[in-house]
Amino acid sequence: MPKETISFKLDNRLSELETLNKKIDTFGVQAGLPKKCVFEIRLVLEEIFTNIAYYGSRDDRGHWIKVSMSCENNIITIQIEDDGIPFNPLDLEKPDLYCNLEDRDIGGLGIYLVKHYTKECVYKRRGNNNVLILKKTISPDL
Amino acid sequence: MEIIEQLQNEVCIFKLNGRLDSTTSHQLEEKIFVAIKNESNQMIIDFEGLDYISSAGLRVILKASKALKRSEGSIVLCSMQDYVKEVFEIAGFDAFLPIATKINDAFEML
Repeated sequence: MPKETISFKLDNRLSELETLNKKIDTFGVQAGLPKKCVFEIRLVLEEIFTNIAYYGSRDDRGHWIKVSMSCENNIITIQIEDDGIPFNPLDLEKPDLYCNLEDRDIGGLGIYLVKHYTKECVYKRRGNNNVLILKKTISPDL
Repeated sequence: MEIIEQLQNEVCIFKLNGRLDSTTSHQLEEKIFVAIKNESNQMIIDFEGLDYISSAGLRVILKASKALKRSEGSIVLCSMQDYVKEVFEIAGFDAFLPIATKINDAFEML
């Protein structure tokens, strides 16, 4: 399979989610990905993107999020870079999945889903930026 | 996302079409809590037309389940696509939320 790559920059605003989804769809078509796999990439990227959009900055200055995705030998590599405050989402505690309804909390669930749907997650602080690299195998349709 | 709201034998039914994500989940949250405020305490959420959910969507469903439990009501979800159902299972939500295959079964599970 030839290498497919896509790279783009978004503003650190929730309204950019639609642009993000369009780019993922384009990438999915180019790389010929199964529908389920595109669903999972959308989920993973929405969780990371909203985390950065909510917590990534403490000032009113405009911030950016750069996303690149590539697909080679059945492995999808996704890199997300942002210029926000140092923040490693992988440090978030795993939610308690087995407690009763009253005690159930939504905190950490998004990142838990990211970890579930990826094979490898690596966080690095590079200069003034956060860099998150995710690797995912292509899941076939159900 | 499109939300169609119906009332059938005092059961409030929300049919969802499209995507339940960070940009749309507040629409559902608003409608559910207006219904709860108006003393609806039996609810079915029909996922047949829903092709995507993220943790933002799960958050609304969790919040609604807690509120309905407090008011001694109940909530049943139904007709989920496989990918969507898998997200509920990974999150462990199937442990406390009844999920029916079809809407007709959902009424019996309330």
